Amino acid sequence: MSETRIPPVSRRTFINTTAAAAAAMAWPGSVHGFHIWGSDVIRVGVIGCGGRGTGAAGDCLRGAEGVELVALGDLAPDRLAECRAQLDKLGASNAGIAAKIKVTDDKCFTGFDAYQKVINAGVDLVILASPPGYRPTHLAAAVEAGKHVFSEKPVAVDAAGIRSVLATYEKARAKNLGIGVGTQRRHQADYQETIKRIHDGAIGEVLSGQVYWNQGGLWTRDRKPEWTDAEWQIRNWLYFTWLSGDHIVEQHVHNLDVANWVFDGHPVKAVGMGGRQFRTDPKFGHIYDHFAVNYEYANGASLVSMCRQIPGTANRVGEWFIGTKGQSDPSKEIRGSAAWKYVPPARRPNGYVQEHTDLVASIRTGKPYNELKQVAESTLTAIMGREAAYTGQEMTWDGVLNAKQDLTPPIGASAYGPMSVPPVPMPGQTKLERAWNE
Amino acid sequence: MRHRSAQRQDAAHDRPVPVAHPPIIALLVVLCAATLIAQAAGYRESIAGTTVQFDMVLVPRGVVTVSGAPATVGPFFVGKTEVTWDMYDVFALGLDAPASRPAGSDGVARPSNPYGAPDYGWGHAGFPVISVTRQAAEAYAKWLSQKTGRVYRLPTEAEWLHMATLAAGPEGLSPDRRDAIGWHRDNASAHSHAVGTKSADRLGLFDLFGNAAEWVLSREGELVTRGGSFRDGPDEIGPGRRAVQDEYWNERDPQLPKSRWWLSDGPFVGFRLVSDVQQ
Repeated sequence: MSETRIPPVSRRTFINTTAAAAAAMAWPGSVHGFHIWGSDVIRVGVIGCGGRGTGAAGDCLRGAEGVELVALGDLAPDRLAECRAQLDKLGASNAGIAAKIKVTDDKCFTGFDAYQKVINAGVDLVILASPPGYRPTHLAAAVEAGKHVFSEKPVAVDAAGIRSVLATYEKARAKNLGIGVGTQRRHQADYQETIKRIHDGAIGEVLSGQVYWNQGGLWTRDRKPEWTDAEWQIRNWLYFTWLSGDHIVEQHVHNLDVANWVFDGHPVKAVGMGGRQFRTDPKFGHIYDHFAVNYEYANGASLVSMCRQIPGTANRVGEWFIGTKGQSDPSKEIRGSAAWKYVPPARRPNGYVQEHTDLVASIRTGKPYNELKQVAESTLTAIMGREAAYTGQEMTWDGVLNAKQDLTPPIGASAYGPMSVPPVPMPGQTKLERAWNE
Repeated sequence: MRHRSAQRQDAAHDRPVPVAHPPIIALLVVLCAATLIAQAAGYRESIAGTTVQFDMVLVPRGVVTVSGAPATVGPFFVGKTEVTWDMYDVFALGLDAPASRPAGSDGVARPSNPYGAPDYGWGHAGFPVISVTRQAAEAYAKWLSQKTGRVYRLPTEAEWLHMATLAAGPEGLSPDRRDAIGWHRDNASAHSHAVGTKSADRLGLFDLFGNAAEWVLSREGELVTRGGSFRDGPDEIGPGRRAVQDEYWNERDPQLPKSRWWLSDGPFVGFRLVSDVQQ
């Protein structure tokens, strides 16, 4: 490739809320509702500078008008340095993006309180991309300080975290703060147009669905001698429920979010099973490698959910819904009497970029959207499925939402130090209401 | 590690074994020694420690015009099919490595674990590898060379064009023939298909046009695929189809840096390997 072309993303076509639709007209013609120090610039900080945080920063700079990246924070100095190096590279390939990168050494923070320092660094919008276990704390701190937020999914790993996030949602609403979340399918025209048709009755009443995230394994990082137990767990955060929520929460939440979107609500019950068949090595922490869950929605509709992370097994990532008059893959088509197929444009817009375009545009309207409740419900849906498998019991929505379940360990959440690996959950023995090491 | 042993076999062939290639063998068998037959018609390669085998077909010497200049290429052997997941998994998942010797300890870089499903769930065993970067294709060739003791590599663009010309034949590609030998936009239902499920071309190769587009080594160093894929129209697949990688092929990888191994938006990209006759 002789040059890298990064096209602007259309703000007109792919808007999924009325607030954002209004934004498309309000910006850049007549800007109102956003003046910081007499400037229209939205100053962005990133909390959690791994691959996704760095990627999200790039997506924001690429997709949003009038933004500047000013502050970075990460637990680990090496991760922060790598992030800066990658952003330099991105800037070197694109002058438009380079002009938006205004990070200085004194606005780069490391350690367990780095998130608070980024929030206090004169930013207007923070991107939250640390391991999910820290998300409720970071969300609460950002909203407390009056910052707009882009939060990666999932937004919690346990019942206590979900309650915290729901309280933060209400607080953000009261303060008129924008919160966008990393369930990018909600910002993709293919899903938007198909699900709109489902909601308009194209497949009749939706009776059931199937959602899948079946794939191979993911990365691990070999332990270094200088790492404490806590640092080893945090650097391998995928494999510890207190950090990732397990893969049903961390990854499969995307497909469960689509189901809740299609059903226009959350499930009320779940039964499920799962286990750890391939991941027997200690390097895989204590999480499972497969789940199968049956969810029931308030109207009696049924959802089968499967997720697996085992190398060499059949892959499937997607969703399928069955109604009284047809079926649908909500990423592309309606089958049945109202058959229809989504025809993508020659260049399919990138949902990862679009979600930043939409959020910043909505902030500029003065009435920013807030997706936190929707993603909190999808996260709780995933947690409910996980708990059905972990405990072997039937879970109810209210039962999980109100459970005394706080998986935050005393060490690890706020300091490095020695700590054990939590036990592998055992159906029939593991309790919904438990502490991090039970 | 049950998935590893499943593909193993105890005594594997380390060296190429002659493969039956009826018309040519029938002619030559009277004249030639068995070793020569193997060289002339092609051979079957095995990946030691697994049950995986694949066939290589001889491409005769010829002259082809590239960028206005004639070039002489061949003879060389080329994979009868695109590289399949069965072959690639041995490399990517380390299926050839004993449990006590983890993948990577042979000094060859192996692909990262992909986030999501690079095969899109369309099919795996017998299906062409897709969603791989050119670097990944070259790393596979390097690993395969080390594994078999025979040098494998991506074809140059000139070599690919030479093959394509022979594959199309002097009569060219009529609409019926394109349909008979190639998976394209109008017959593939928007996904890849098992290799060898369409008819062979004039060279005895499968899926050179359509199914997965194929990485080649371009003279200018560009990232080029040839032949077209299941996403291209019936009139587009063929010797003339050329595509250069742009940022859209890896657009939705949400990480920075983006993967060196996997193309998040390249389900139409695969490859086949060649091997020089003179090693």
